[in-house]
Amino acid sequence: MNFWIAVLRQTGRNLRQTWSSQFMTFLTVSLSVLIFAFFSLIYTNMLGAGDRLSDDLSLIVYLEDEPGPAMQEQLRRKINNFDEVESIHFISQQTAFQRFADQLGEDSDILHDMPHDFLPASIEIVPLKSLRGYNQIKLLSEYLASLPGTEKIQYGQEWVERFYHFMRLLTIVIILSGTLLILTATFMVAYTIRLTILGRQAELELLRLVGATNNYIRAPFLIEGILQGLMGSIIGLIALYGLFRWISVHFTGPGILNLFQFDFFSPSIILLIILASISLCSIGSYSSIRKFLQI
Amino acid sequence: MTENNNRDIPKDTMIEMIKVGRNYPPDIQALSDISLTIETGEMFFLIGKSGAGKTTLLKLICNMEMPSNGLIEVAGYNINTLKGKDLALLRQRIGVAYQDFKLLGDRTVAENIAISMEVSYKKSRAIKHRVRDLLDQLQLSDKHDILTGELSRGEQQRVALARAVANSPRLILVDEPTGNLDASTTEQVMELLNRSNKAGATIVIATHDASIYQGSNNRIMELQNGKIHSVTRGNS
Repeated sequence: MNFWIAVLRQTGRNLRQTWSSQFMTFLTVSLSVLIFAFFSLIYTNMLGAGDRLSDDLSLIVYLEDEPGPAMQEQLRRKINNFDEVESIHFISQQTAFQRFADQLGEDSDILHDMPHDFLPASIEIVPLKSLRGYNQIKLLSEYLASLPGTEKIQYGQEWVERFYHFMRLLTIVIILSGTLLILTATFMVAYTIRLTILGRQAELELLRLVGATNNYIRAPFLIEGILQGLMGSIIGLIALYGLFRWISVHFTGPGILNLFQFDFFSPSIILLIILASISLCSIGSYSSIRKFLQI
Repeated sequence: MTENNNRDIPKDTMIEMIKVGRNYPPDIQALSDISLTIETGEMFFLIGKSGAGKTTLLKLICNMEMPSNGLIEVAGYNINTLKGKDLALLRQRIGVAYQDFKLLGDRTVAENIAISMEVSYKKSRAIKHRVRDLLDQLQLSDKHDILTGELSRGEQQRVALARAVANSPRLILVDEPTGNLDASTTEQVMELLNRSNKAGATIVIATHDASIYQGSNNRIMELQNGKIHSVTRGNS
């Protein structure tokens, strides 16, 4: 019998003898992973949705008067001096009228009696993709509003504001659930291993007396922690996948979720979650071994 | 083991004790001034009344307890300075049958005996074979799968002895091996110990039972109030 067979046999005995507390720990780890992974999944999908929506993000600056070529150049320079942007387009009153008429399509005849300069001239500014954070957009908008001749700024402020607040809330939830995962997984595993150690003092003393090495005595407890982390995270992720499939099936068709492309984690993220769970549970196990298994 | 602590000890010395004492708080002197040499392959008897210090002496030899003073060497190693893997390896070579048996009541007889072999990574087949052989020798074959918590005291005592000799240790320490046994079973136990001794193991037996040492020509050390009272040889 080699070391690992002996250790695995010992681990099996530990698990059999303390199966009820092991099962509770396993459930706790699974739930922690499920909660954390659930919010992470929403977060990553919302980030993706935000990215896709921000592709169409542009600021429209309505001007009091139609700017001449010299004024256009001045405004272009001022905007570029303030912040680098992807593009700046000046829309004349005439072009604005034409666009409006195109949008109305067959109903454009209602514009026949309207003067062609009744719509204001404007500037369409597309910010750089890397500078589309809520605060940057807000700063740019405030700057544009302060420019002389500006009448109004429009970029879907309310929507952008709500979206970024929602993302900030989601970030807090992710951090909290991540902390919860770390605390519960680590403490529950540490507690279970501690119970196992305390419940098996007689056996551990005997093992020492008959010449078991420290590794022989400690390894099964460490393996228990690793198994808790591995099994807990796998079951948690399977449960999340079930939930994901259920949502995908039941919320297909016209609905708010359909606005977004809802994807599951990539294999590398799944592996990362499993490894993180194993690491945390191993740390919990190791801390109990260090504290309560004095050899 | 990495280090031989005393290269002056003759190769045939298994246990060397020099001025060993053991005190317990507040001021109980369990052992004092014990100096003793036990040769390799010797069968050595420790006798004395209850409380004389026999069990304490065995506990010191197997490093279950530390001496308050003095030097203890087993197989040339200062057992009180050994740590970690070195200590574990030495303990694998020492089989101990404790007075309180130290059996795991929720494990079967076979599992209890196997423990001492599992820690030294013996092959499963060899362990099974050895366990069956020992149970045969001690008339416990029918108890193979019984939990030790369900055995009588006499049976538990024999299981503890079987575990002590199972790993074929170089040194076997036995505390009151026949305390709960009838004459016939006592004979089986002594046969097992004699067989181990003939195979080369050094055996130290702490006992009250005069019948097991009087007929032998082995050395007998009597303790009184924690001190050596006499060392004699049996009259075979």
